[in-house]
Amino acid sequence: MNSSALIHALLDGVLTGSVYALMATGLTLIFGVMNIINIAQGILVILGAYLSYTLSVHFGIDLFAGLVITIPTLFVVGIVVERFFMTKLKGPERTSMSILVTYAIALIIEGALNMIYSINDVQLKAWYVNQSFRVFGLWIPYIYMFGFFLAVALLGALYVMLYRTRFGASIRASLADQTAAALIGINVKRVSTICFGLGVAVTAAGGMVYGATNAFNASTSYDLISRLLTIIVLGGMGSLGGALLAAILMVTLGDVIAVVWSPIWSTPTYFFVLVIVLSLRPQGLVGKLSVREA
Amino acid sequence: MAESTAFLRFEGIVAGYGGGDVIKGVDFSVPQGGVTCIVGPNGSGKSTLLKVVSGLLRPRLGQLWFKGTPLVGLTPREILQLGVVQVPQNHSLFREMTVEQNVELGAFLLKDRKVIAERLKNVREIFPIVAERAKDKAGSLSGGQQRIVEFARCLMLEPELVVLDEPSMGLDPKTLRLVFDTIKSMNSAGRTVLLVEQNARQALRMSHFAVVLENGLLRLSGSGSEVLNNPEIGALYLGGSIETTSKAVSPAPSEL
Repeated sequence: MNSSALIHALLDGVLTGSVYALMATGLTLIFGVMNIINIAQGILVILGAYLSYTLSVHFGIDLFAGLVITIPTLFVVGIVVERFFMTKLKGPERTSMSILVTYAIALIIEGALNMIYSINDVQLKAWYVNQSFRVFGLWIPYIYMFGFFLAVALLGALYVMLYRTRFGASIRASLADQTAAALIGINVKRVSTICFGLGVAVTAAGGMVYGATNAFNASTSYDLISRLLTIIVLGGMGSLGGALLAAILMVTLGDVIAVVWSPIWSTPTYFFVLVIVLSLRPQGLVGKLSVREA
Repeated sequence: MAESTAFLRFEGIVAGYGGGDVIKGVDFSVPQGGVTCIVGPNGSGKSTLLKVVSGLLRPRLGQLWFKGTPLVGLTPREILQLGVVQVPQNHSLFREMTVEQNVELGAFLLKDRKVIAERLKNVREIFPIVAERAKDKAGSLSGGQQRIVEFARCLMLEPELVVLDEPSMGLDPKTLRLVFDTIKSMNSAGRTVLLVEQNARQALRMSHFAVVLENGLLRLSGSGSEVLNNPEIGALYLGGSIETTSKAVSPAPSEL
């Protein structure tokens, strides 16, 4: 085995894993606060990537600068989806119904994207996508590092918002116990709407980095959503720290297995680990059992 | 009694969860300044009635008046702002947050840091545990300690009416006494208390006024001792261990 290849795999795991963590954080935040599993998260990442694509190809706007437009846009998309669809989901079947509804939303967005952009693969372009820098004797495209910084910055901002602000306290209270939160005067409905918006907004940043590091079309979303779902299951549904840990673990494990064994075994090994972890800790790595009453 | 300006007044409340009405038309008034206890067998609708008070459940019919203000249709937040605070049945502290963070969140509706600090100081004096365990995670406290911290949290808004849903649930007898003593002292400090209790005997002993719910209807109301000593009620809801239970009794004298 080649040790530089291993270092490369580890490095890629951390760099790429952080971007998956960002996308998965949105998913786990939405689940934690609202008990909604947003199957559309995958296609929303692709929507974010296509928005960046349009801004860069048709308007010449830099991918990172374009986030100033795409992040608020997807935030609004999230708010609209929540107001029009999620508020209609009530009662004990809420979670399972949310899978169907968000899947339907995903199909609608997928169809629209196929119509607008065709099914041909595209990839985002910029100088930092093509050019590389040298570290540990390896050439790494700048986009990996920039994407990592972006993910760290956004996750950091999210952390500060959650743990240092009044609004963050209201989100954490709603995550823990909606009834208790309502009884101390937190407007849980409003918190839910904004959380859905935030959970979707992160797909703009995640989608841009994903689209710059992978060729994609609308159907790429299926691979993405299955990865994101397994990340939040492994980390513990509703756990933000768990999503970060699991994302980096998943990508690193896949990369390392590809190097030391074979790329064919990357995915099976990850799922093997997932099954082992879940049989020992059904609540996931960081999750808690029965945090909230049924 | 037709008190138009009753402290808290239930007027023809009908409420449920979609699967039928749990509360089937309830009228009574909670007098100001005392402890009012709602007792009744499991499933009689006690907790449902409290959900109506807190705004978590909107009644299908009827009105609820707090000092002349209609509460039906208000959000839990708006009801809180009027001075009606509720501690729910299940433990409601945020386990991952510290005791102090939990208590501070009781003042979520207040913006003024100075007022919050002042209230926190007062609450610490009444409940030493808030200061002693300030930095501990709320989840690490025992059930009884969590209850006390929940009381501390609810006092941060300095409410006029404190609503408690089965505060003694799951507590051992010693802790139960502590919790009941705390309720009494909250009441002595001038707060009206409305509580639902499964531990009916002990709760009725400290109550000034009590109502008995059965099957979503008001079965009886009166002073705490009247209800406690009503032979039929004793037989039905209080465990029926007193000798009076064997006597033949006429139906409850007053249905309001």
